Amino acid sequence: MIAYLVRRCLGVAGVLLAICAVTFIIFYLLPADPAAAACGKTCSPQRLAEVRHYMGLDQPLWRQFGDYLVGIFAGRDLGSGPHALHCGFPCLGYSYDNALPVWDLLMDRLPVSASLAFGAACMWLVLGLGAGVTAALKKGGLLDRTLMVTAVATASLPVYFTAVMLIYGLVRISGLLPYPTYTPLTSDPLGWATNLLLPWLALALLYAAMYARQSRSSMIEAMAQPYIRTARAKGMPARTVVVKHGLRSAMMPVLTLFGMDLGALLAGAVITESIFGIPGVGRLFYDALQRSDQPVVLGVTLLAAFFIVMANVLIDLLYAVIDPRVRT
Amino acid sequence: MSRQTRALSTALSASLALALLGACTTQEGGSDPDRREQPGVATGTIIGGLPKKGGTLTVLSNQDFGHLDPARNWVMPTMDFGTRLLYRTLTTFKAAPGDQGSGIVPDLATDLGKPSKGGRVWTFKLKPGLKYEDGSPIRAQDIKYNVERSFAPDLVGGPDYAQRYLADTDGYTGPLQGKHLDSIQTPDERTIIFSLRRPVAEFSYTVTLPTFSPVPQSQEKGVQYDLRPFSSGPYKIKSYARGKKLILVRNPHWAKTTDPVREAYPDQIVVQMGLKGGQIDDRIIASEGADASSVEWSDMQPSSIAKVLPRPEVKRRLVAERTGCTDMLALNTSRPPFSNLKLRQAMQYAVDKSAQVTASGGPALNDIATRYLPPALTGEGRSNSAYGRSTTSHADKAKKLLAEGGKPNGFSTTITVSTGDKTRAEALQQSLSQVGVRLKIQTVDPSVYYDTIGDTKHAPDMAINGWCPDYPSGSTFLPFVFDGRTIKEKGNQGNVSQFRDKAVEKRMDEIAAMSDAASADRAWNDLDIVIQSKSPAVPLLWKRKPLLVGDNIAGAFGHGAWTGQFDFAVIGLKDPSKSKG
Repeated sequence: MIAYLVRRCLGVAGVLLAICAVTFIIFYLLPADPAAAACGKTCSPQRLAEVRHYMGLDQPLWRQFGDYLVGIFAGRDLGSGPHALHCGFPCLGYSYDNALPVWDLLMDRLPVSASLAFGAACMWLVLGLGAGVTAALKKGGLLDRTLMVTAVATASLPVYFTAVMLIYGLVRISGLLPYPTYTPLTSDPLGWATNLLLPWLALALLYAAMYARQSRSSMIEAMAQPYIRTARAKGMPARTVVVKHGLRSAMMPVLTLFGMDLGALLAGAVITESIFGIPGVGRLFYDALQRSDQPVVLGVTLLAAFFIVMANVLIDLLYAVIDPRVRT
Repeated sequence: MSRQTRALSTALSASLALALLGACTTQEGGSDPDRREQPGVATGTIIGGLPKKGGTLTVLSNQDFGHLDPARNWVMPTMDFGTRLLYRTLTTFKAAPGDQGSGIVPDLATDLGKPSKGGRVWTFKLKPGLKYEDGSPIRAQDIKYNVERSFAPDLVGGPDYAQRYLADTDGYTGPLQGKHLDSIQTPDERTIIFSLRRPVAEFSYTVTLPTFSPVPQSQEKGVQYDLRPFSSGPYKIKSYARGKKLILVRNPHWAKTTDPVREAYPDQIVVQMGLKGGQIDDRIIASEGADASSVEWSDMQPSSIAKVLPRPEVKRRLVAERTGCTDMLALNTSRPPFSNLKLRQAMQYAVDKSAQVTASGGPALNDIATRYLPPALTGEGRSNSAYGRSTTSHADKAKKLLAEGGKPNGFSTTITVSTGDKTRAEALQQSLSQVGVRLKIQTVDPSVYYDTIGDTKHAPDMAINGWCPDYPSGSTFLPFVFDGRTIKEKGNQGNVSQFRDKAVEKRMDEIAAMSDAASADRAWNDLDIVIQSKSPAVPLLWKRKPLLVGDNIAGAFGHGAWTGQFDFAVIGLKDPSKSKG
């Protein structure tokens, strides 16, 4: 088991390194020049050269990349003189646009995206699994068909449409909810929830539809297994059969899906955050792209990769716990 | 200047939606575009009357500020915000709507500065008793220090007038390594003397820029000063979460008695960032709760026009002041077809400007431009255009010029626009096809637009470009856009036409050396007409900046000096008790 863990962790490091290198090269090849963007419209060639030097952009690519990698583990100093910037471990570069280290920016925005992701996840699990399991148990009935038609319809609506309709219905027409303005959980829990309700709903509706379909089919499959029949034959209560025997095994594929989805959402839901004006990692990424703020784009890309890869590892470990054959 | 870079990309994405409004009528030729009725309140109107002291003013924004560090702040509305609330400058613009706002008054200085040596040396005296937010005195040395900071390669992005005007600055890279400039002398704590490399008649205007505000060396934090500028103005920063929220509270050491413009009505100013543009409009239109005490930072979305103009109670809360910028169609003069003067001149008649108005949001938000210098820089009766004031295209005149240029059957050409400007490019394509000119449109993402058209080797034949003067003087416009010596091989941003003309350049130097501002002003206007006749660009639009205010806002007007943004010196609330405090 230990050897398996070590192997997986090395794999993660390799994937992250590869993503880092590819993103670095893409930016190097793009026509946008961060030094020129920072320097402004009337920048003279001489001043531009000074800025490039200050930002370290006059170094060869391999050197810039090397410094970046070393910085992640050892931290580094940017610029020189009494006002040089120290960027401590783990230094993911410095955003000259925001005048902050990328790591600080990410850690500032992560709680916001996490609020969005976990809240929405709770909602879609309840809605999606509820609908899916109910439909599976009433397979073929009117309820099943109604639920599944609704799910297909909801899943096919893009989030920007759902979001705009929710704002229109719940804010503009009925005035039930305020226009979302992010409030931290720590300062005002009620405000936090009220303001996030709309984005949670928008995301949850989309995911719930997919989860309903997924959980319905795996539940039907599970309920058709011989051991369910055996359990029933032994005279177990219906509830125990469904929950303990049926649901538990039906949840495995759903769990895989859930890990991946949550991992991706933690690194920012770009569209949802932008539409609802939520200052999360996704919004940070969007703004950074607009301004060619390369260190931030790279930082968010790595963060996203990290979460997705880690989610995969966790799921695989869970499998490994259940099924020893995977460990070899 | 500028800062079209960011402002434009937002504005541009707007234009597409606007074209869908369709119903807008376009004006016919002959009416004076300078004197048309405007949407919202008339120029000179102050919305909501005189504010009362107190309360919380909320600013709803879809973005964060670029830079609040005074050495790096060169985005017009942000310069307004910074210099009106956080840092004072040697002189500043009057707090008045319309043309009156382009006048300046002493701010930290006792007067508008005393020129000597024919305008090569300028001396300013500071008022006594000026203080920072911690009660320490504001010294002349601190202004010198901030001007020096604007040379540092770490602190880029700010106005570059210090680099342009100050004498003996070659190779200077700022004060962070301990080196200082000799061309700024501070014989005592209240006197500052600037030695310039040439006479600058309008230097009193130059020192309205945030470069000329004080930063004490003891507060230097390098790049991170951006997050917490040390206040010399009526407010100081209580908290600033990048991209989220900025809270300003009163600076108790600011004294109204020393300040001729700032009223500082609200007790607190909160900037809520990163909101969605359309939602900001909706909130302010509805004007409920704290939203009634709110103003919007960025332009009203074009899609909101239909919710505002038909409703008088909302329309009287709309400010739509001229931005003071000119939007132009740059013609690449460096190679055929537009190296040919006649073909360039033909474009002046071939372009249907009223179609440009329609494609950019209609006459509510745009006036037709008939010359390069925007209206604020051209006095009454001198607003001449070399091609008349017609607003629709004149195919006959254009065809005649095409024939003279050796292309009677037209030619093929290219334009590059950012994605949001596609509708405008298509309007151009339509009007040019009337005279046989076949226009191929290339669209690029707004984030790389200026890099694309600024690559002189691969630049397209045409591009849409804008320029805003930094203060009302032709010297902050024509030399940036039409001086051939400023062209750079890459990142070329002002002179997109790559227009090189020895006579024009010589004349620019002569006007720059004039010590009398009034004759310089006349000369810039005359030069505008000269350049028009050489046709490096077609003036297209003078845009307006549409901004909504909540029901409880008072003292609101768009200030002409800062592209029509609210004057934050005098804005406040009707009833402070209604704002969430």
